Amino acid sequence: MTSFAACLVNGVASDFMRTWCGLVATVLVLAAVPTVAGAQTLPSEPVSLMSGRVTIGAEASASISSNDDPGWFNYTDYEHNALRLLRLGATADVRLGSRVSVLGELRTENWEALRPYALYIRVRPWANRAFDIQAGRIPPSFGAFARRNYSGSDNPLIGYPLGYQYLTSLRSDAVPATADDLLRMRARGWRPSFPIGSTGVAPGSPLVTAFRWDTGVQVHWESEPLEVTGSVTTGTLSEPHVHDNNGGKQVAARVAWRPIVGLVLGVSGAHGPYIADDVTRILPPDVPRADFSQQAFGFDAEYSRGYWLVRSEAIVSRWRLPAVRAPFINDPVRAWSASGEGRYKIRPGVFAAGRYDYLGFSDLRGTAGTRSWDAPVHRMEVGGGYYLLRNLIGKISYQQNWRDGGLVREHRIWSGQLNFWF
Amino acid sequence: MIHRLMVPLVICCAHAAIAGSPARQPRWGEIGATVSPVPVVSGFSRTSQVQSAEPLGSIRGRVEIRRSVPVVEPRPSVGDFGMPAPHDQPDRFRTVVYLESAPAGAFEGRSGLPGGRGRMTQRNETFVPRLLAVRVGATVDFPNEDHTYHNVFSLSKTQRFDLGRYAAGQSKPVRFDRPGIVRVFCDIHSHMSAFILVFSHRFFDTTDTDGRYQIPAVPPGKYNVMAWNDGAVRDSRTVTVSEQGGPVELDFVLR
Repeated sequence: MTSFAACLVNGVASDFMRTWCGLVATVLVLAAVPTVAGAQTLPSEPVSLMSGRVTIGAEASASISSNDDPGWFNYTDYEHNALRLLRLGATADVRLGSRVSVLGELRTENWEALRPYALYIRVRPWANRAFDIQAGRIPPSFGAFARRNYSGSDNPLIGYPLGYQYLTSLRSDAVPATADDLLRMRARGWRPSFPIGSTGVAPGSPLVTAFRWDTGVQVHWESEPLEVTGSVTTGTLSEPHVHDNNGGKQVAARVAWRPIVGLVLGVSGAHGPYIADDVTRILPPDVPRADFSQQAFGFDAEYSRGYWLVRSEAIVSRWRLPAVRAPFINDPVRAWSASGEGRYKIRPGVFAAGRYDYLGFSDLRGTAGTRSWDAPVHRMEVGGGYYLLRNLIGKISYQQNWRDGGLVREHRIWSGQLNFWF
Repeated sequence: MIHRLMVPLVICCAHAAIAGSPARQPRWGEIGATVSPVPVVSGFSRTSQVQSAEPLGSIRGRVEIRRSVPVVEPRPSVGDFGMPAPHDQPDRFRTVVYLESAPAGAFEGRSGLPGGRGRMTQRNETFVPRLLAVRVGATVDFPNEDHTYHNVFSLSKTQRFDLGRYAAGQSKPVRFDRPGIVRVFCDIHSHMSAFILVFSHRFFDTTDTDGRYQIPAVPPGKYNVMAWNDGAVRDSRTVTVSEQGGPVELDFVLR
């Protein structure tokens, strides 16, 4: 414990040590929480207070990888690598009445400041109708992956699907003046820079981020076998915001159909202004003021039976950028991702999983010729998990990435994770 | 807390194995089997009792739960679009009362009986019953009566199993061959959990809705009687069944 404490206090620990120190410390703290029975053991059920009106859960996960990621394949921004991450989170559901709840999740990653990942009020106007309204920092209506619990076997692997994590070179606070400016940033989504707008370096945007949720209002209606969800939010799929930065709202919707038990088919769509006002305000007056928006469509499917769970998801997104100077970016730039994953339970408490991902980009004509505006990426990840307890899973995975551009074009990495929740 | 029950269950198993040599163990059908006077335990049918030449007694009484029983709620899921589906609260007031130890010979000839068949249903996102007591060799069915998938599993050392996902109207069985405690969960619904206590002898009973129990056909002797509720032994008492047999009243108050 002394060495763990020392590394935490001194702040000189490596990512590896910091991650594992954190997990061990967390488990020790949790182990000290007395259960109802009075025994010193890890809690296994959420804490329920005030006759069930307040329910509190928690999650701790620590991921490590065998080597660094010089190609930035798994980074979620300039600081955070999804395969080297300590995440602590607490969720709460406070019922203010039979039809009103407040839900929230606080998270910290790598011991940084706590931030509200989710915080919203849920209202069910009619008791006998499955119609709900949610307002605040709400779960994304679009797609399926971003709403999954990371804990447990909901994500059977350690990495994320490319469409929800990989950083493209687009930014909402800075835009390229020419097609060449954008092509120059191929495979540099971890730190792109452009001449218009914020001139500093900053991470780009994924197609849909799974690491921040947007702020707005959401309605949901369900009647077997259909489920319809719609929302109006301040940001976009790529750039969720608490405070609006462009005065426009994103509209998103998803329709899910459950024809049989175990099968879910979903289609999603979203449209919202992407570029910040700080950028459009300084555009030259002769630049056409188009709808600088992100528009996306998605399809997701899940089927499970017996010991199998299979999922697939496809996303197509396009962003319209200002056409400032020649060579112009006249058409919206497009990107698409497709992923398929499967999990199979080999025996009680042991499962194997695999995922294949592809992320592609549309072509763009520059001075030197026509190329995709960002470098296409393939990812393959295989792994497995072992339940040490019902709510403590150890996972291991092997991931290989290929990219058609950038300094690092191929990267192989092993990673491990401990994940505990209650 | 689990070890506290595991130990006596294993002791009982070992005792029965030692005491009952193959020559002395009655084969099923050779002995006169009678229907138990004990009411059918919720979820489990006790099929037979063994007649004995010596006078037998019974231990019966009532278990009163005075401790607060926490409400079971699902883990908060901020990713949901609406109110979670309503679910039943599990019955956490049932108690298993069993003999922890017995003098030599008490279990003779009673270890070779078939374990019977039990049932633990998945209904309204709850296991019914939440507490089930069976004998070694028993087969328990796990029917799904909900409209959604369930995935019953256990990682207990006594019996590890995973039934996979199956839909409404389907059922899968598990045979329990070792004594001990089996904690049962659903892999999809984190708030679903249950207990199965597997005994190597027949001297146990589960309380009914009024908290009453009866352990019949107990040979004369001095016994430790345990009351097990919601994951732990909550109380234990010592009683003596006289040589003349007859009922012994024993009540528990669990705080």
